[in-house]
Amino acid sequence: MIPWSSFVQKAQSLIDPANFNIPALSSPDHNPSKASLFRQQFRLPDSQNPLQEITADLVLPLPNSSANQGDGSRKVDRAGNTYTGRLHLSERFICFSTQPTSFIPSATASASTAWTGQTHGTGPSGNGFVLPLSCIRRVERLHSASHVFSLALTTWNGLLNKQQEPNLVPQRLILQLVGSRQACERFCDTLKKGLREGMKEVDNLRTVVTDCYSEYLLSGAKGKGQDGSEADTRQPPDAGLGLIFRYPGDARKLRDRSKMRLWGEYFRENGRNATLIRQPTFHKLIRVGLPNRLRGEIWELTSGSLLLRIQFPMLYQQTLAKFDGQESLAIDEIEKDLNRSLPEYPGFQSEEGIGRLRRVLTAYSWIDPEIGYCQAMNIVVAALLIYMSEAQAFFLLSALCDRLLPGYYSTTMYGTLLDQKVFESLVEKTMPVLWDHLTKSDVQLSVVSLPWFLSLYINSMPLVFAFRVLDVFFLEGPKVLFQVGLAILRVNGEELLETQDDGSFISVLKSYFSRLDESAHPRSENPKLRAITRFQELMVVAFKEFSGITHSTITETREKHKGAVLENIETFAKRTSIRNLGPESKRLSVDDLGTIYDRFYETLYQWEQRQRVIEEETRRQERKKSQRLSMLAPPADTQVGRVGLGPSPTHMDYEAFREFLAATSKWAVADSPGPSGKESLSGKSALWANRRQPADHEFMQRLYRKWATNPEEGLDLQNVVNGLARLKGSPDIMNNINYFFNLYDDSGNGQVDREGILKISEALLFLSRRGFEGTITATPSVENLNSTADRDHAEDSLTTDEKFLGSVSAFIRRCFEYADPSHPENRKEDQQDATAEATEKLDSFAIGDDDDEEEDLIDVHDAKPASSPAPDATAQTAKSTTPELNSDDHNRSTSESANPALDPNNPLHITLPTFRMVVLADELLEQFFESYFPQSFHLSDHPHPAALAASSSMSSNLTTFSNLGSIRSSGLAAGSAPVAGASGGIVPPGKGLRGVLDNIVSDGIRMAAEVKKRMDEAQRDLERNALGREEDEDDEDDEDYPRRENTAAAIPGGIPSWGAGAYGADTERRSVVRDADRDLLEGAEVLGGGKEERTSLLDGKDDANHAPRKVSGSAASAKDGGSPTARDGEVISKLVEFES
Amino acid sequence: MSESASANAPKPSSSVKLVLLGEAAVGKSSLVLRFVNNDFQENKEPTIGAAFLTQKCSLPTRTIKFEIWDTAGQERFASLAPMYYRNAQAALVVYDVTKPSSLTKAKHWVAELQRQASPGIVIALVGNKLDLTNDGGDVSEAAGAAQGESESAQNGDEGAGEEDEVQDDVSGDARKVSTREATGYAEEEGLLFFETSAKTGTNVVDVFTAIANAIPESSLKTGRGTGAGTGQTSLGNRSAEDSRVNLDDRNAATAKEGCAC
Repeated sequence: MIPWSSFVQKAQSLIDPANFNIPALSSPDHNPSKASLFRQQFRLPDSQNPLQEITADLVLPLPNSSANQGDGSRKVDRAGNTYTGRLHLSERFICFSTQPTSFIPSATASASTAWTGQTHGTGPSGNGFVLPLSCIRRVERLHSASHVFSLALTTWNGLLNKQQEPNLVPQRLILQLVGSRQACERFCDTLKKGLREGMKEVDNLRTVVTDCYSEYLLSGAKGKGQDGSEADTRQPPDAGLGLIFRYPGDARKLRDRSKMRLWGEYFRENGRNATLIRQPTFHKLIRVGLPNRLRGEIWELTSGSLLLRIQFPMLYQQTLAKFDGQESLAIDEIEKDLNRSLPEYPGFQSEEGIGRLRRVLTAYSWIDPEIGYCQAMNIVVAALLIYMSEAQAFFLLSALCDRLLPGYYSTTMYGTLLDQKVFESLVEKTMPVLWDHLTKSDVQLSVVSLPWFLSLYINSMPLVFAFRVLDVFFLEGPKVLFQVGLAILRVNGEELLETQDDGSFISVLKSYFSRLDESAHPRSENPKLRAITRFQELMVVAFKEFSGITHSTITETREKHKGAVLENIETFAKRTSIRNLGPESKRLSVDDLGTIYDRFYETLYQWEQRQRVIEEETRRQERKKSQRLSMLAPPADTQVGRVGLGPSPTHMDYEAFREFLAATSKWAVADSPGPSGKESLSGKSALWANRRQPADHEFMQRLYRKWATNPEEGLDLQNVVNGLARLKGSPDIMNNINYFFNLYDDSGNGQVDREGILKISEALLFLSRRGFEGTITATPSVENLNSTADRDHAEDSLTTDEKFLGSVSAFIRRCFEYADPSHPENRKEDQQDATAEATEKLDSFAIGDDDDEEEDLIDVHDAKPASSPAPDATAQTAKSTTPELNSDDHNRSTSESANPALDPNNPLHITLPTFRMVVLADELLEQFFESYFPQSFHLSDHPHPAALAASSSMSSNLTTFSNLGSIRSSGLAAGSAPVAGASGGIVPPGKGLRGVLDNIVSDGIRMAAEVKKRMDEAQRDLERNALGREEDEDDEDDEDYPRRENTAAAIPGGIPSWGAGAYGADTERRSVVRDADRDLLEGAEVLGGGKEERTSLLDGKDDANHAPRKVSGSAASAKDGGSPTARDGEVISKLVEFES
Repeated sequence: MSESASANAPKPSSSVKLVLLGEAAVGKSSLVLRFVNNDFQENKEPTIGAAFLTQKCSLPTRTIKFEIWDTAGQERFASLAPMYYRNAQAALVVYDVTKPSSLTKAKHWVAELQRQASPGIVIALVGNKLDLTNDGGDVSEAAGAAQGESESAQNGDEGAGEEDEVQDDVSGDARKVSTREATGYAEEEGLLFFETSAKTGTNVVDVFTAIANAIPESSLKTGRGTGAGTGQTSLGNRSAEDSRVNLDDRNAATAKEGCAC
């Protein structure tokens, strides 16, 4: 018999996966870690890891008390004194389990009233034990004749009390390890180490154990008290409100006293509380219902919460003390419900009971802020408090939320919804007829069953019966809820089949619950049968008929429905959240909002996940130092990253915001490709799949500060939506210009100072450094095209990007030109001169260089005859060139002369109208603000109609850029492609394009920096030579105005010729030229290669205003442009100076 | 009950699924308790998931049986709400006149219902806890309904006849949401609007009567949830005679011409 059963058990332990309490939702990859399976199986705290495991036989001495009433179950004990199973060792626990399986036929006959057999459960693993190492007093190695490696464990069982118990025999159990000698030795070594550690915790153990009712029971104090012959030697420990307000139900009818006796006997033979060994009787005793005073203790024993309490005996009190007097949303919610938790129980009509409830719920809301408080917890905790102390209830609640009811009380209640789905699918599977009926009558099962699960039947059934369900639930886990639920439907099946709607369905069940104590077979002849109550019948059905519902059934079904449930919740959350975003958000399309929402949370979660990984790593390193409070943090393998899973971060800090921007705008991606390969991205947004390092630019910080209501706290979804809505919501260019200006209006007084102007220009270059995705077009001229025709595939002047750089330098110049002095006393006539001079300087540095390079183009490379007329044209038309000539001529002298505009004592600023004017004066800048800037924030693939209209005017050169990964509708690309082809200037984008662009742009940025540096230098110069500059300025002033007039006049004809001449060159040739120039300047790497690809097709009208600027800008940035003016040599030398 | 109250032959009877939504502790369950049992409890157990109750409402031409789904108000239960408002033909969106945030929440619910619930759902916006305001409990018909049908409901039983148009001037009472604001919103959205007190019973029955009147006849013929588009089977005889919920003597007392609930 013994070998056979142990063999069966062994075999089954190999077969049955149900032995493992697979953590319900904690497996991101459907592949829970061994550690978590191990913890689940033995209900250990999350700090525990499996260290050793070995097959072993557990040999228990025969019961020493011979006065057993043989109630049948005893036989099993006698027969089963040796159990074969696996012995496990973790840091603090030694666990043994025979892993009984659901295949074991129940020991009792089906018609029996006592359904006390094995519970097919995967509770704490059938027979065996889970001993804290601190419980072990001594370990001896037994020398046996056979070559068996035997250990004898003596525990502290019963010895931790101050008073000696009568007739106490020390608990001693023998373990025979089955394995190689080495394996056994290894196990023993680890055990030794653990025991040494465990000794430190004996005091914890003592604190907790002496509070247990079992100790009180066995100490004999109780018996004496009942006799009345002696006064109680000690107060009974807190066994819940029931001790004060009576326990629910009729104790006599519940046969409480005999149950108590049976438990006393079991404890004496098998140990109590922490040192209890589970034998089959244990399960049976639980099935028949726990005695009132022991109920709380056994609950915490079977649920594993006792182990938590031993680990942190004072956590409850400490938590209360720590947060004393603090307030929270959860506390408000708790207060609302205190008076309405099991109000029918007298204990909760008293301050005592309500106070306990308040403290437990509050303490829990502090240690698990992600859950906080959920309605239904009040009912569950109220029920627990009838049978256990506050601290016990606190830890049991923790075990419930973490392990037994995962996700039930979370902020999205995904666990609840998921288990409803699971329940429905089980009903469909096990009771197809009823399911069909429900579907046909449109009765939604979950509206009935949800409260069963959420409040553990406590307010569905009469309390006495709900507690009986709980007894088994804590032992065997969540599957019990399903089994009972299915049994309820099965028992009422016939009646339910007659119901037609929710109402009648509910009322059938209501009346059933109210008659649970009645006889199930009132008319039966057989008195035994008549004695069976409906509740007993229910339990038999639940655990016999639905014995096939195991933990693995539940786990598998959960896994199956999890995706859909989470998706539902997320859809709901998204819908709600988007709808509640407020009026500002209405400026964006629903698709856009959806995209923002998704991206916002995706970014947040990824960010959080990365933080978590880092944290984890840190913690792993620190693990030896301090033990992690398992209760205070969710298990390490808890899945995060879905809105549906509950408490989600709501604010992103600047770092996360950068990530968000990088996923939104190309310009927010860092230039240097970081270690992108490492960071995996869910393939949700394929377009951005190859994750890039976000850039970090002052502009992004400004954006962040602008968007955030409270930059410390971070950005929430509302902030981001509002920020984007203001940018993208209206296709109004003025709005965008204003917005940009305000970003840089640090003082908020409507002025941007010198520093700000330079920062703006830097930002413009920063934003444009990845190209314009076709939203900006420099208008080409007819001549341009002609000249293109003239030369073999001659390119049509500069790319938009190059021109834009010119626009930016023109922007700086003009800003200074039109800036107002910040001090009124400086508002003299010479102010303008000063400004002009500043501008001029800028020209000479920023813009002049392009001229010189253009010049080089002509001078150095004679192979470009067509470009010869360019100098004249440029000189006349491109306003930038003319003054530069002059400025450069007297560059040295002027730079040495003081200029009030650059004098820090004469601060200047531009106002919004000036800024607006300067922007609108330039076609490219205008386009930048009109279309590129708002459109550079990519949202949904279906842009708002307004945005779409704007983008339809995109020029043809976008074909080139669209391939860089910008989001564009393919239709547009297709439409524009032929045009682009016709232009002849389009070169398919090469792989190196991005790099080339980056170079150009970073050059541009460097250029701006240099301008700034130069400004500072000039400033210093000016300070030195504060005098004698009047004439110079006058001169410049004179020149300045005519120049502008010239420009205006030249618009119709000037540029074309210029373009044809200077820039109408073939791309390849240009690139060669540029290379040469570049070599000249700094011997740098190839640059022109990319330029050809960026060649823009200029269509439509020409605008002299932007074209030359474009030229100069691009040249400035690349230092390889061309300018057909005379003073190039100087500028070159200057540039060389800069470089050095 | 209503059969005995009216001399007519059994009137056509139909079921209407009604759902209550609103922030926690605005008094949803209390409204239902007042309507169904004419009772009020200070400490009502919080609703877990949803509570289900039924009550009949007798109109001159027909009897409406309300199947009332009273949902939990705590924020996190919101994700369960679709389960309950599915196929609902009527909804009571409740806020607390002393708590402005609850009106915001109510607006969210209205938006949710308008987009997600059955098309044609009759929505009533109800500001509860009128007893806490200066208007006290003797105000009726705080505002007319945006839908014309409610006129016929104005001769309901409790507190009827006292028209009180202007309640906006708030002086020292707990009212934080003006009637005008809520009326304006209700009109904009085409909602029935009432201010009620579940504690005193003011306007409670009127709300339900107005809803009963506002349910289009066409949707009643086919049972509940017309046009829900979710393919539910309609049931002609939804056990109209079945009065599971205990309707106390109050029915007889209040069985006037209007609602005989």
